[in-house]
Amino acid sequence: MISNTLLPVLGLLAGASPAARADILAIKVGRAETISHGTIEHAVILVEDGRIVMIGEDLPVDRGIEVLDRDPEWTAMPGLVNCYSRVGLDSKGGNDSRPLQMASREVYPASKAYQEVLEAGVTTLGLYPPGNGIPGQCVVVRPVGATAEEMIIGDGAYLKVLARSSASSKKMVRGGFEKADEHAEKERKAREKWEKAKEKWEKDKKKKKDDDEEKGDEKKTFDPYAPPEPDDQAAAFQALRDGELSALISIIDSASYLHFLDAIGEEEFAWDLRVPVTRELNLFHLAGKIGATGRRIVMEPTISLHPNTMRQRNLPAEFAEAGAKLVLIPRSDSISSHEKWLRDTGEIVALGLPREVALRALTQEPADLLGVGESLGSLDADKAANIVFLNGDPLEPDTRIKAVMLDGSFISEEVPQ
Amino acid sequence: MKPRHKLFASLALISFAPAAGALAPPVRVADDEPAEEEREATEIEDYYFAVTGGDIYASGGEVLRGATLLAKNGKITHIGYDVEIPGVDYFQDMPEEDRNFLTETLDATGLRVYPGLVAISSSSLMGSSGDIADTANPFGQNLVLALASGITSTGSSRNVVKLKRYVEHDPPRDFDFSSILLGENTYSSLSWSGRSPSGKASLREKLSDAAEYQRAFRKWEKDVKKDKELKEPSKKGVDSSALAILKGEVRARFGADDRDDLLGIARLAQEFGFRPVIEGCREGWTVAAELGRAGASAIITPRTRRDKSENLVRPGGSSIENAAILHAAGIPIVIKTQSGGVNMGGIVGRDIIHLPVEAGFAVRGGLPEAAALDGITIEPARMLGIGHRVGSLAVGKDCDLIVTDGDVLHYQTFVQYAVVDGELAYDKEQELYYAHIRPRAQGEVAPQEKLDAGENLDDSDDDGEGDDGEGDDGDDEEDDDGEGDDEEGDDGEGDDGEGDDGEGDEGEEGGD
Repeated sequence: MISNTLLPVLGLLAGASPAARADILAIKVGRAETISHGTIEHAVILVEDGRIVMIGEDLPVDRGIEVLDRDPEWTAMPGLVNCYSRVGLDSKGGNDSRPLQMASREVYPASKAYQEVLEAGVTTLGLYPPGNGIPGQCVVVRPVGATAEEMIIGDGAYLKVLARSSASSKKMVRGGFEKADEHAEKERKAREKWEKAKEKWEKDKKKKKDDDEEKGDEKKTFDPYAPPEPDDQAAAFQALRDGELSALISIIDSASYLHFLDAIGEEEFAWDLRVPVTRELNLFHLAGKIGATGRRIVMEPTISLHPNTMRQRNLPAEFAEAGAKLVLIPRSDSISSHEKWLRDTGEIVALGLPREVALRALTQEPADLLGVGESLGSLDADKAANIVFLNGDPLEPDTRIKAVMLDGSFISEEVPQ
Repeated sequence: MKPRHKLFASLALISFAPAAGALAPPVRVADDEPAEEEREATEIEDYYFAVTGGDIYASGGEVLRGATLLAKNGKITHIGYDVEIPGVDYFQDMPEEDRNFLTETLDATGLRVYPGLVAISSSSLMGSSGDIADTANPFGQNLVLALASGITSTGSSRNVVKLKRYVEHDPPRDFDFSSILLGENTYSSLSWSGRSPSGKASLREKLSDAAEYQRAFRKWEKDVKKDKELKEPSKKGVDSSALAILKGEVRARFGADDRDDLLGIARLAQEFGFRPVIEGCREGWTVAAELGRAGASAIITPRTRRDKSENLVRPGGSSIENAAILHAAGIPIVIKTQSGGVNMGGIVGRDIIHLPVEAGFAVRGGLPEAAALDGITIEPARMLGIGHRVGSLAVGKDCDLIVTDGDVLHYQTFVQYAVVDGELAYDKEQELYYAHIRPRAQGEVAPQEKLDAGENLDDSDDDGEGDDGEGDDGDDEEDDDGEGDDEEGDDGEGDDGEGDDGEGDEGEEGGD
């Protein structure tokens, strides 16, 4: 069906600019997991200028376009997006609130780790700043580039906030919003003062005109209003309120979530949750409550145990079912965890997590969390050609990654072309 | 949540039977899952919680058999008979979506309803101490175990906290951390020990300085009316906590077991006019009259032991009758377990979750049952300064209660439900810990005649055998847990075995 509707467009495109043909690459694979619109059998993906131009079932390819005809067993899926990582970074952080600290400052392109995670299929990384408390903002990078600028594709993706069951942690969150309130009050007063001064100045000017007095050094205009500079706390928390920034709230158990809710009170802003799936994580108590918010929850694909028992719980599946938007990340920042990421995900799919939710949780959902969901995260026209090719179902344990494409160029391929 | 719906459903059906033919069909209320949108139509303003059919152990030692307790928004509004429950006895025809209230009903027929127990002190039940409203963990295992043992309030280092567990509601309600903190511990810990004569001297000095200051202050209060120029006496050098004790703002708390120390404290208290709290008090039975006259209160652990000093002729050492003798001398008794935490190792049965057993041991030594119950409910509540809110079942007080299948002081009794602030916080059948031991008979298959819970439970089980036959048998056979089987065996022997055991043990105690 897709091929039928797209056929004329393809012809037009190919016919209109024959010169561009050489740059277009058509990749034929057995199947493609598009994420956005299901699985396409016998998929053809057209890539140009680092972007996907078109994807469909059995698309006819014009002559002159280079065709990579891969094994019909091969499956293509969008490049994996690890939105919560410290790969390649090794600085240490404090225990305070520094909401304007940017992880982008410590991106170190020479790190070997980037090439390795890329080979494991990870084409986008969200790197968060180190430390406890409110350590700062996350940077989005592609794991390739000679300079930090080449790697960074987005900055300030989310503000990382560690929410704990402690007075200091709650105070940090409350304090941030209080600072924003204080600044707003300060600004209001400054504006009032400026307006009064302006009024007075205009009056004086008029008076002087009436008096017909002439003075050479008289200013023609009044200084424009200069708002007072907000401090870091006020700026960041105001940005949260205004929707310019979102927060990723790291919790460790049910209690810390309730304490976070207690700390923010009526405050409304965009936030998602991060919770490390520990052995006896008790967050299932709140599955319904968290699910009802429809927010994202960042978890590892790990089976945990019901506290004090050996009863297995598939928390990612429970939260997905409860209505939360699941985001999966590798179990750790090690290379081997990235290599096992798909297999680990397959494990929790085998134990009840819906397959399509799992695939989305590896690609589009984290991309959305990082604010780059418009340009990557699924196999769709106009999105970046970040594609992972595998020799079978991505979530089957014996499937291997055969090739990885980042922005239209192959980074690694087991079979030489 | 499900069983609660069931309870409500079955109860609703029973009470609706005579009202059948009214406008709305009774099925409406009995509906297991009312539609979400309908519920949200009217905002819920009042939450009712009713316990019906149980024997209610109300304040003042009254027992109301088969009575009803109704609470509104966490406070008890009615205890007694002919209590009308909104949504059940009236407003029952009102469609759910029009109701601005929610009623939860707990059928306690054949069970006993006691006030929630109060532990004078404990550790790690609500997470780490400090600022409890910012650190409490309303999900912890220790919290659930404490509720399972009947405790609903406790002193926790400097705080007095309510064991509020997170309960999922439909529609959801916010969890209010501020409701955890009931108050602050109003104690001043003092030391009075024969081993430290200088400590005794310094305490006496502080108290007499404070008393001196008070006398001067009172005189000044009187004189200043005549002479406005008079200066207020200086507080300099006066110990603030000693002054607070004499003013009655805080209570002096001593840890003392020794007869001589106890006598010393009693005399000190009488001399300076304050009412001491004595923790330990193991030789208290030898000087009970003096302690009583001094207006002392005692925090005792009936199962702790202390040998009599061989050097002395006078009576001494611990006595199983300690609590009974102190009580007879008019001393309020608060019972405390040896350990304030939940212990999974060591000698079992001496940690916080065995508080009722500890109180039962005092009964063995002659303490009246009512006094033993008071010793784990209202007395510790008063001592913690929260007696006006918890510790007994009375109109106006917090709806913190436990529903047990027998006498709360009996070792065999289990807490079936614990209710905190009018919310069901613990249901034995829903938790991992004790659900498998003597499972509760399900409402549908249970015998209808009332049980005098506890001892007679076996009989009812036998009776029930005929009714539900397969179900019960199946359970016993399937029970691969050795513990469970043992329990059943004990039950079979019943009352006779119990009596024998009791006497034998007591004989041994006497020998000590």
